[in-house]
Amino acid sequence: MIRHLFTLIWNRRRANILLITEIFLAFVVLFVVGSLLVYHAHNYRTPLGFGYTQVWRINLDPGALPEASRVPTLRQVMARLRAMPEVVAVGRASGNTPFSGSTNGSDVGVGKEGNNIMGSVSGHLVEEDLREVLELPLVAGRWFDKRDDAATVRPAVISRDLGEALFPGQSALGKIVGRNGEELRVVGLIERFRADGDLEEARPAILMRVSPQDTVWGEAPVILLRVRPRADAALERQMNREILNIAKGWSVGITTLSEQRAAQLKRTLTPIVALVIVCLFLVVNVALGLFGVLWQTIQQRRAEIGVRRAMGATAGAISWQIVGEILVVATFGLALGLLVAAQFPLLGVFNVQAGVYGTAMLLAVGMIYLLTALCALYPSRLAAGIHPAVALREE
Amino acid sequence: MLLSYLKIAWKVLLRRKFFTFISLFGISFTLMILLVVYAMYDHTVGPHTPEKRVDRLLFTSTISIWSPNTSNISSPSYSFLERYIRPLRTPEKVSISTGRGSVVTYVGNTKLKLDQKYTDAEFWQVLDFEFIEGRPYSLAEVAAAARVLVINESTARNCFGTARGVLGRAFVTDDNMHYRVVGVVRDVPAARTYTYAEVWMPITTSTEDIHNAEYMGSCMAIMLARRPEDVPAIQREFAQAVARAPLPTNVYKWVKEVRLYAGTLLATVVREELDEYGPNDGVARFQQLGAGLALLFMLLPALNLVNINISRILDRSSEIGVRKAFGATGGALIGQFLVENVFLTLLGGLLGLALAAGALHLLNFSGLIAYTQFGINGRVFGVALTAILFFGLLSGVYPAYKMSRLNPVKALKGDQNAL
Repeated sequence: MIRHLFTLIWNRRRANILLITEIFLAFVVLFVVGSLLVYHAHNYRTPLGFGYTQVWRINLDPGALPEASRVPTLRQVMARLRAMPEVVAVGRASGNTPFSGSTNGSDVGVGKEGNNIMGSVSGHLVEEDLREVLELPLVAGRWFDKRDDAATVRPAVISRDLGEALFPGQSALGKIVGRNGEELRVVGLIERFRADGDLEEARPAILMRVSPQDTVWGEAPVILLRVRPRADAALERQMNREILNIAKGWSVGITTLSEQRAAQLKRTLTPIVALVIVCLFLVVNVALGLFGVLWQTIQQRRAEIGVRRAMGATAGAISWQIVGEILVVATFGLALGLLVAAQFPLLGVFNVQAGVYGTAMLLAVGMIYLLTALCALYPSRLAAGIHPAVALREE
Repeated sequence: MLLSYLKIAWKVLLRRKFFTFISLFGISFTLMILLVVYAMYDHTVGPHTPEKRVDRLLFTSTISIWSPNTSNISSPSYSFLERYIRPLRTPEKVSISTGRGSVVTYVGNTKLKLDQKYTDAEFWQVLDFEFIEGRPYSLAEVAAAARVLVINESTARNCFGTARGVLGRAFVTDDNMHYRVVGVVRDVPAARTYTYAEVWMPITTSTEDIHNAEYMGSCMAIMLARRPEDVPAIQREFAQAVARAPLPTNVYKWVKEVRLYAGTLLATVVREELDEYGPNDGVARFQQLGAGLALLFMLLPALNLVNINISRILDRSSEIGVRKAFGATGGALIGQFLVENVFLTLLGGLLGLALAAGALHLLNFSGLIAYTQFGINGRVFGVALTAILFFGLLSGVYPAYKMSRLNPVKALKGDQNAL
């Protein structure tokens, strides 16, 4: 039966070519939008690797203040913040804090000469206390502490995937890595640190220590702090006032990481939602068209269907034939579409995992079959209802 | 002749209402989406207040400290622009301002956080803001770091309860600085990234370090050309000025080149959106991408229309058979069908235009982007008309050709394989 249907459609391929092209294009659209959705959903479901609720970010702009007095003032501000009862922990960090939209990407390699170079590693400068602020769980090794004050090589904590890429088959602990011409000693491993945000692809990360003795302002100009759950806008205002009392003439910006995360999500999701709306419209359009064409075809094939009915075909068999025919037409379109879609994982377009494309293909194929079957349902019922005597008399 | 074709078209439309509905749905929604996208594009980079003379304006907003392996990207500093860009001779005027910041003020006990921008006095000469009342701050006021400011209409309403008669009133920031309102301008949409703010203040009153030698900062420059033809000359002089700046090797030991480019509004926006900070601004890539996507997007509804149109012809095969049997030429039939199709497309186009106006209205009200006033103007209408005609022809030509090739004998017999 199925072979018969294929022969039937193949013989009428010239008449069906437009339908096949339309299904092919619809598949491509669904595949592309599906890949995008699967990609972002996959990223969203990967854990961030840190805790961001109850974390606040304080941005300080010293304006025209000379370089030398910036860090001492910053330390005074931090001491004052630490003394507040609602504050759990306070730490300095480089500007690319989670969800800030500011990112860093550098090459990291083994040793100073740089073997096994890994590109676009997210680099962060952090103080010891940031572990408590961001609730960073360690996988192996240790976090920065007082012992590192005496270290001649700056210590670093790296994400597990970076360790595995740099030192395949062995532990990265204690090894020397190179970044921008600086040597760093790996003292600990974390699972991951996705500061780029929920919907961005997970990148390897390297966290480097800023000791309390460091006096370079640009290294870690941002304060991150963890507050107790009862903290509110009143605390924010109090902080603002007390910081301005110490740092006269500076400008202060306080935001919560949750707010920054929500803003970032809105920014990324708005175009995706627009795309999904457009895609939905295209699919509805195709469905309506398919429905119309099928309906028209049934009107024209009344005689043929009448003959089949007169020869003893059941109403169910007629229905099945109509649905089967359109599914075969869809199969031809899908075969073409899959040929195109298969190029994406084969050529490694956009460096996205092949699994993402695979899932998107499956989803798109399922959607197209469902759509064509649904569109054929009513016309097929119509065809099954044709009375042989009436249809044949029309001839 | 044309009139009778149109009459036939109208009758045909009424006969198969379902097909008519499908066609109109496809045409009007496709057009609506194209129009909404174009209106957004035009709203962001087209000539609108305050960048009315968009063909004479050049922007620079990102500096890149570059070497083949590493690059740091940021806004340029005030001192860099002041030293190397301000002295350019080819532009009529150069304005330096900060990127978007924010300022906090209290109205009674409510906290108002406003988008703010520090600018020089040239800013108001380079751009064409619509002043409701008052005036911009002058060169002398900027030089003297006078605490004066210009606010937009909504801010005036939020702070003082009225948009008129607020000149001379005091505006107190949260660090207790007293500013005096000298001008009120009409709201600028937030999509105009480089000029938008709610509050504009003289750059000399900011804490921005003017004497700092660091290249990275938080500023941008806008240049006004005397004539649109001067733009390439300005870009050449600009490039020379940037090349003259010494490499900041004291801070970035690895630096090989300082990259800063002057581009049109479109080029500058595209640069930021596509993260293109090299010599190529990416406008060509953006345009190819846009045209390709629009074509792909239109292809699917067009194919759908072709399919529907062929079904319609089959439906009318006996009519066509009769006309052919009485001697109608293929050309006449093609002409008739194209007229019918363009007529249908125009109907759908009108519907689409109305839908687009509604959608834009909704977007304006949703507050997705602050102070947006998306609308359909002459340019957008022109694009709509072109798109409609393109669409009508695209979906009409193939069915019309098929129609003209219909075999009259088979068609008259009602043979479904007549095509």
